[in-house]
Amino acid sequence: MSSRDVILKRLRKAAQPFQDVPPRTEHMAMVPDAPQTPDDLQSRFVAEAEAVGCTVYCVTSQEDAVTHLLEILREHDSILSWHESHLPISGFCEALQSQGKTIADPAATDVRVGITGADAALAVTGSLVLQSGTGKYRLTSLLPDLHIALVKASQIVPDFETWIAQQREDHLSAFSESSNTIIITGPSKTADIAQELILGAHGPKQVHIVLLTSA
Amino acid sequence: MGLPERESPVGKRVSLFVTCMVDMIYPNTGMSVVRLLEAAGVEVDFPMGQTCCGQPAFNSGYRDEARTVARQFLRAFANAEVIVIPSGSCAAMVRHEYPTLFSDEPEWHERAVRAASITWEFTEFMVEGLGLAELGLKLPTPRKYAVHDACHGLRILGLGKSGRVLLDAVENLDLVSLKDADVCCGFGGLFSVKMPAVSDAMLGEKIACIEACEADDIVTGDVSCLTQMNGGLSRRKSAKRVRHVADVLAEGLQETTDA
Amino acid sequence: MHNDARNFVALSDVAIADADLRSAVALATTRAYDKRMVALFEHSPAYGEAIRQQAAEAKRRALRNLPDLLEKAESSLTANGFHVSWAIDAAEARQRVLDIIRQHQGRLISKSKSMLTEEIGLNAALEAADLQVIETDLGEFIIQLNNEPPSHIIAPVIHKTKAQIRDIFVRELNMTPTDDAGEMVAFARQTLREYFVGADVGISGANFIIAETGSLCLVMNEGNGRMCTSLPNVHIALVGIEKVIETLEDYATLDQVLTRSGTGQKLTVYTNIINGPRRGGESDGPEHVHVIFVDNGRSDVYATKYAEALACIRCGACQNACPVYRNVGGHSYGWVYGGPIGAVLTPLLEGLENAAPLPHASSLCGSCKQVCPVDIDLPRMLLDLRADLVDEKVDNRWQMGLKGWALTMQSPMRYELGAQAARLGQRVVGTDNLPGVLGNWTKYRDFPGFAPKSFRQMWRERERSHRKEQPS
Repeated sequence: MSSRDVILKRLRKAAQPFQDVPPRTEHMAMVPDAPQTPDDLQSRFVAEAEAVGCTVYCVTSQEDAVTHLLEILREHDSILSWHESHLPISGFCEALQSQGKTIADPAATDVRVGITGADAALAVTGSLVLQSGTGKYRLTSLLPDLHIALVKASQIVPDFETWIAQQREDHLSAFSESSNTIIITGPSKTADIAQELILGAHGPKQVHIVLLTSA
Repeated sequence: MGLPERESPVGKRVSLFVTCMVDMIYPNTGMSVVRLLEAAGVEVDFPMGQTCCGQPAFNSGYRDEARTVARQFLRAFANAEVIVIPSGSCAAMVRHEYPTLFSDEPEWHERAVRAASITWEFTEFMVEGLGLAELGLKLPTPRKYAVHDACHGLRILGLGKSGRVLLDAVENLDLVSLKDADVCCGFGGLFSVKMPAVSDAMLGEKIACIEACEADDIVTGDVSCLTQMNGGLSRRKSAKRVRHVADVLAEGLQETTDA
Repeated sequence: MHNDARNFVALSDVAIADADLRSAVALATTRAYDKRMVALFEHSPAYGEAIRQQAAEAKRRALRNLPDLLEKAESSLTANGFHVSWAIDAAEARQRVLDIIRQHQGRLISKSKSMLTEEIGLNAALEAADLQVIETDLGEFIIQLNNEPPSHIIAPVIHKTKAQIRDIFVRELNMTPTDDAGEMVAFARQTLREYFVGADVGISGANFIIAETGSLCLVMNEGNGRMCTSLPNVHIALVGIEKVIETLEDYATLDQVLTRSGTGQKLTVYTNIINGPRRGGESDGPEHVHVIFVDNGRSDVYATKYAEALACIRCGACQNACPVYRNVGGHSYGWVYGGPIGAVLTPLLEGLENAAPLPHASSLCGSCKQVCPVDIDLPRMLLDLRADLVDEKVDNRWQMGLKGWALTMQSPMRYELGAQAARLGQRVVGTDNLPGVLGNWTKYRDFPGFAPKSFRQMWRERERSHRKEQPS
């Protein structure tokens, strides 16, 4: 008998524990009063993202977004980036090249800044949801010192539970199409050394969010 | 909490379970309880058959021995209408453990369930049972006290408020807060002699909070915790002591009866 | 991992005398405890308790259906491209990992924190096979350099002060001495980066396996877990069989009570949902992901009244709340898991005779049950284990004494005689040095002494005088 069979047999031989635990019909969200309107979603997202150490730039146009990006990237010649088709702004690559900057091979391990889009954002925690995919490299948001995320305000959902509910409506795309979904809540941190909070333990030390709003 | 429901004890005769430690070491505390109950208009009796609730054996894993002693409790209180206990841990033993302790003995189980459903810790009896938030008490001289929350009473019986409610209503008594009031003092019954170094380490932390507290003395509802804390305070030559809530309240009774 | 739980008393004596240890542990645990209070009850105490209830039910439903759920998880994981295997015990788990590494000709292994791998002694086995293993969680990295085990479920190095950590880095890695934590972290980041990039195999645990979707879920703050599971071409995850949960909704609840209970965070910096090896046109991520379901005693526990211990989601909140743990630290418990959950799991997984002191290493204050996000009744289990120690005769040394005590307490007359004897004995012996085991009391504390007159005697006198006052 394989170990698998031994284990399953042992478990099935035991009297079933917790027989009287009821089924759950309604799930309570961790945060009961999550914002719902676009304005509330946006302001809550910004506040929470800043509270966990992100820097957030709200821009109202693609041009402004590009301007901000170039400003952030002033000292960087080489950058990692998701494929342009997955970024919510157009003309980005051109703008970079006109400034003499290059987009590095996505597998490069010594580039100090990485730019991604996002698949969703969570308001009550200030989080970014990034799904891996073709041209949506995992390492872009992981290896560099600085991670820049381009997010549309319309992508902000109230909370984790809402995101899951939306996934259900969307045939669980984040689970079926993508090998890796990462929910990023601020820059990398550790308190392992005598409880002192230090940023940039292994992942990015800084997370900048360029938030495209409609108004 | 999963504890048996209780009927209102108003108008019923109270049988006092004074606890072995109060009986042998702090008899005056027992008297304070009696005087307070009688001041509240309660008829009190004292079943002479009582000895101990059996907790020391139970907590050590010796369940047969615990049952032997628990049966004597059940015999002694067989005719009680209401049982009042000036100890959160002993009251928890009766309310929380007795029914399961006798789960294999139907006759004793029934008696255990009955006892569990008529047992009250002293402060909860006054505040929840009788609905008395205050007794018109006044201390002879102004004093500052802070409450230490005894663990079993706090977490098993949910006692957090009742002691404070009674103390807060006493004139000349300024109730202040004790840092980490709900952190264990390290008694834990026989734990205090089985793991004495750990028990003493926990005691040291508690005493540091007591010394830093602005209260003159500390109040608590369990003489077991009190013995641990006073044992440490006196060994460390502290001026502060821990007193049982009944003794502090009874002091306030003295004043009003004299006046 | 070698089990030294039998030596709890000696180990805790050492810990109690170590001022640095106690201040470091107290700092970490009180901070985490306070943060949990804020995070879990930010809306209201009642709402926080209701969420706890929801989490408790989610784990218990999963445990109730465990065998079916494991099969479902295996099926959905396999459909996602994971290779799933099963290991009955530590030896088989270690061998399975070695086989996978050899299959892929791995030499350098980057490891993300996993208490299960500590349990099965994985690192030692890999090193014995001439493989290089680097612990990449900062806390684990530090203790690996110092050749010692973790002392806390989620924060491995809370028992060390900053100065002690600095000295380890200076001694083992030639770091330029500094007392700046930021500089120390930067140094570690730089040192570990080349290992991350060079590793052929990444090893991790899993916080949850979602059976519904075939997902492996990890929580982390540093990002090393992402590095171990995204950079190498092979990722091996070891998972206790009790870690499987049913649905995405359960996951949302359990992940968030885990983070709020453990570190007081709404979400950890990285919440990672892994759904298999790289797929489609993806150009990074491992091509091979293995999941090993490890039993190592869990199926035996499942069949006992202690099954509830398997609901543990390894948040560490009980350790943060426990006043015993706060004063003696995790190493005193002698094995992988310390604190209240350790006092229960060690006897259950390693045998009561190999952990006899642990169920007694508690004052039964109940703080652990109060903070457990899945409402495990740890005090109940400690009491039951204490009874097992007696019933199974592993440690019943107090039996004669307590039998005598019970016989005395059974009879009011014998009780009063005993109390009288104690009062008399006190006149002879005094209260400064009590005899026998009671000497353990007076070693540290004063004893108030028996009162000259008991309450019973006072009551009798009071009754007599009342009867005299009443006309008959």
